[in-house]
Amino acid sequence: MIILYDFELSAECYAVRLLLGFTGLAHEIRPVDMFPGREQDEAWFRALSPDGTLPVLDDDGLVLTALPAILAHIAARSGGLGRWWPAAARDEIARWFAHAESLADSALRARWIITTGDGHSLPVLQARAHALLRTLDRHVWFAEKSGADWLAAGAHPSLADVAVFPAVALCEEGGISRQDYPAIRRWLDRVRRIPGFHVMSGVFPAGPARADVPFGSQ
Amino acid sequence: MSTTPSAAVLNLWYPISAGEDAKPGQRRSTVLLDQGLNYERGADGGLTVWRATDGATALPVIERYGFIWTSLGTPPAELFPIPEYAESDRFNICAGSIGVNVSAPRAIENFLDMGHFPYVHTGILGEEPHTEVKEYDVEISGERDEVLATRCRFFQPQAALSASEGIEVEYVYRVPHPYVAVLYKSCPAQPSRMDVIAIFCQPMGEEMVRAHLMLSMLDDVNTLTSMRRFQQTIFGQDRPILENQYPKKLPLDPRAETPIRADKSAIAYRRWLSQKGINYGVIPEAA
Amino acid sequence: MVAETAPRAGHNAAWYPIATSDDLPFRHVYHGQLLGQEMAVWRADDGHVNAWENRCLHRGVRLSIGINEGAELKCQYHGWRYANRTAGCTYIPAHPADAPARRISNRTYRVMEADGLVWSTLSPDTPFALPPVDGEKLALRPIPVNASPEMVLTALVHARRSGSDVEALPPLGAGLELADLPGHPARFFVQPVDAARAVIRGIVARPAGDPLPLLRQFDDVLEALREVIEADAARVELPEPIVPVYQPVSVELSSMPPITIGAQNTLRVVVRRKFPAGADIVGLELGALEGHLPTFQPGAHIDLHLPNGLVRQYSLTNGPGEQLSYVIGVKREPTPGSGSQAVHEVVREGDVVAISEPRNNFPLRRDARKTLFIAGGIGITPLLAMAKALEAQGLAYGFELFARSDAHIPFPDDVGRLGARVNRHLGLDPGATSAAIGRIVANPGFAEQIYVCGPGPFLELVREEAAAAGWPESAVHFEYFKNLKPRDSSKSFKVELARSALSLDVPAGKSILAVLRDNGVNGPASCEQGACGTCLTRVLDGEIDHQDVYLNEAEKREGKVMMTCVSRARSTRLVLDI
Repeated sequence: MIILYDFELSAECYAVRLLLGFTGLAHEIRPVDMFPGREQDEAWFRALSPDGTLPVLDDDGLVLTALPAILAHIAARSGGLGRWWPAAARDEIARWFAHAESLADSALRARWIITTGDGHSLPVLQARAHALLRTLDRHVWFAEKSGADWLAAGAHPSLADVAVFPAVALCEEGGISRQDYPAIRRWLDRVRRIPGFHVMSGVFPAGPARADVPFGSQ
Repeated sequence: MSTTPSAAVLNLWYPISAGEDAKPGQRRSTVLLDQGLNYERGADGGLTVWRATDGATALPVIERYGFIWTSLGTPPAELFPIPEYAESDRFNICAGSIGVNVSAPRAIENFLDMGHFPYVHTGILGEEPHTEVKEYDVEISGERDEVLATRCRFFQPQAALSASEGIEVEYVYRVPHPYVAVLYKSCPAQPSRMDVIAIFCQPMGEEMVRAHLMLSMLDDVNTLTSMRRFQQTIFGQDRPILENQYPKKLPLDPRAETPIRADKSAIAYRRWLSQKGINYGVIPEAA
Repeated sequence: MVAETAPRAGHNAAWYPIATSDDLPFRHVYHGQLLGQEMAVWRADDGHVNAWENRCLHRGVRLSIGINEGAELKCQYHGWRYANRTAGCTYIPAHPADAPARRISNRTYRVMEADGLVWSTLSPDTPFALPPVDGEKLALRPIPVNASPEMVLTALVHARRSGSDVEALPPLGAGLELADLPGHPARFFVQPVDAARAVIRGIVARPAGDPLPLLRQFDDVLEALREVIEADAARVELPEPIVPVYQPVSVELSSMPPITIGAQNTLRVVVRRKFPAGADIVGLELGALEGHLPTFQPGAHIDLHLPNGLVRQYSLTNGPGEQLSYVIGVKREPTPGSGSQAVHEVVREGDVVAISEPRNNFPLRRDARKTLFIAGGIGITPLLAMAKALEAQGLAYGFELFARSDAHIPFPDDVGRLGARVNRHLGLDPGATSAAIGRIVANPGFAEQIYVCGPGPFLELVREEAAAAGWPESAVHFEYFKNLKPRDSSKSFKVELARSALSLDVPAGKSILAVLRDNGVNGPASCEQGACGTCLTRVLDGEIDHQDVYLNEAEKREGKVMMTCVSRARSTRLVLDI
């Protein structure tokens, strides 16, 4: 049985929940009271995750704590490794993982500062996040022009989309507007339309894109 | 440009922290009405609060409903009552203090609103197609000087953690303080009593609030963690709505927005703020 | 040099680009901004581009986080729907049984699409005039810059190839050749997002072959330019953001409903198309003389003023967001001089006729688990509009259609597009009709609703069968085109006409309308039985004895308007706004 140790408001945990939804893999959620309870510092949890980080995935005793490893494991377990982590795009996907980490270090830290009301240096973090979003918007714009919908090459979304989506979808809670990034806003719509998509607090669903609506246009 | 708070604003009590977060001997800081504050719990458990700019003057402080309250003016002797909090068989929980980029009155008004349940709390507090807000009563209670909405009912697919299927839930809403709302909600486990959920707002700035969430529950099935998770999920869903309200301050001019019958409590709340002379976090009615 | 003389960005009357055409893909909502005013920009499925003030009039939530449903935009907060083109509110889920009586409309901005860009203006009347360009154009990637729009334009002009010309494109544009990209003349327009925020939007001639290399070259040059401009901007004091203007809503909208409807405005429309819509039925497509027609809701009807002086009510069959023309259906009736005869024989394509604004006495709830439509013949018209609305939203419904024969099915094309949802019951005698309806309504379910429309006896039959099967009365919806309620005209009273300064006695047995006519006061009237709403009159004083079936309960309670054809006074006198 796959068990996800999870905190609802965590963007990294959300990436795991997203992929579990996209792949339809059966699992169980164990809530951890990170905030305000700081349950991740308790001994039982440190035994699972020595640094006290979330998410943690426990697959019948195989315990994973690093997000890329967790996502790759879920892709493999669902039989979708070739679709979600294609060999030809692994270098590219790894770079997007790094991008997601940088966003976590800037946008998500800004979000957490606003959420918890302690800490400083918001403007610096927000400026760093904007620089990362600029790169992302440019990448997506040119990808669209070449007919590509997703971050990494290929017709199917990959782990790159799963890893980057949460920080981008939640960045406005860090006071980082997406208004200047129209291509990113369109990509967010596309990810939210992948079958099996789940929302989290802070993320709204996109409307269905149906090309076959019989009425409603003149 | 921030507004100079009126006396009506300065003389209120404000929550600044969960009591349990202030460990003895640990100095902490926060912001209230654009002013930096420091606070510390002494070894004897007593609390001291002072302005960051003025270490010599202690501000008023009380500890109620699990939170630390202070004031920048001359506050009333006692805080508004929540008598249920003292009932011995309840779980009283500080469910988290969450910062949101919005004015405190917008956050309170959202808390009073049922019409958004099917759209914002989909599958939890409401679900399409059950979207109707039935008639309810609202009054400004003269005796207690608070807004009171009663006979509120709404269809909920999962009304609380202890509920497993859809039911019509009954609510009572109180606004006993310009930046506080208290919700009473019928409890499936004990039909004659109600769960209490309160939002205590700490306006850090006019457009930045920390919402302190307090639960006083009859639920004896669920863990502290799962109850907190439930409440944080709900509030986390409200957050992007609140942060996308435009303007962020609550407009008190009736011509700013378009009310419908379901908004009776919000209209009463706006009028009440106007009458009390609240000028912080709002766009006052043009004279 | 152009930049130095360019008008300031506070030039509200001008047109500016606000997006690229590619920014508005299927079912997306774009977050735009011009001179401090945020906009929600979305393309409807019919291709129309809407640019609206970016806040729901209800609680101020940005509509750019809403959902583009193809013909309507849905607010994320309370699910309010706003129609394509008009931005009129068509549905308020918190009160699913009510038609939004008040005309709630969002602020709209004018939009033009040209050369791959989407243009808008804060001005209500400045004509759009872009110098024409030849050949196919390619829009560059937009470059947002944190600097004042004037600084950005100046920098663009300075970045041109040394000694080359600049084509002035007021208010904030320039045609030029960049020094780093010689041989590629481009037109640049600076979008003044705010006092210290701008977007560079460029268009170039589409190259033969793959455009990507050229797009990338421009992007590299413009990104480098952006960095220079932003570095410069960091050294100067930037202007404060523009304070957005929130237009107040009308006094009518600012207070709580119930609000009574005002006197109905009439408007002129052109008969675009007159077409056979089933045996003995003609369809009329009534188009706006310019722009679009007022917002309607499914179930709404209009009054049609006919050449022979009659006024008749017809339901709209339109789907959501179809605001350019109204489509109605009229069945041929044998009565000479009837409204039906006038439509069939006199009205022709190209005629201009008068209609009322749409009014809805037959609102569609969209909070049902399942909706059952039961149509008898031409009674299908309002139900078609309703089914199209549910279809567009993906809500569950069933459609039972009764007609004399296949050839008698009204609007066969529309019915065909509803597909397998429609059960056809053709050529049944009264006994078989009764049995069929009995089967259809046999199993009432929780939160299900019936909407029925057709001839009087058909309607009664459905109501009886539904009641017998256990449907609550409140779940069976129909519209009166006849007033079947018993009426009492035994009381006499006085009416005073405030504007005409006349005082008249209304004796027992005679209507106010008849007394007015006797005294030469002629206003519009139609059914003269309190069903159509044509003779609606404002009441300034006195207590009304409502006997019509037109006004809803809230409107009756408020007592500000009445139907002079059947309603009377409880008080001894009424003061009318005539």
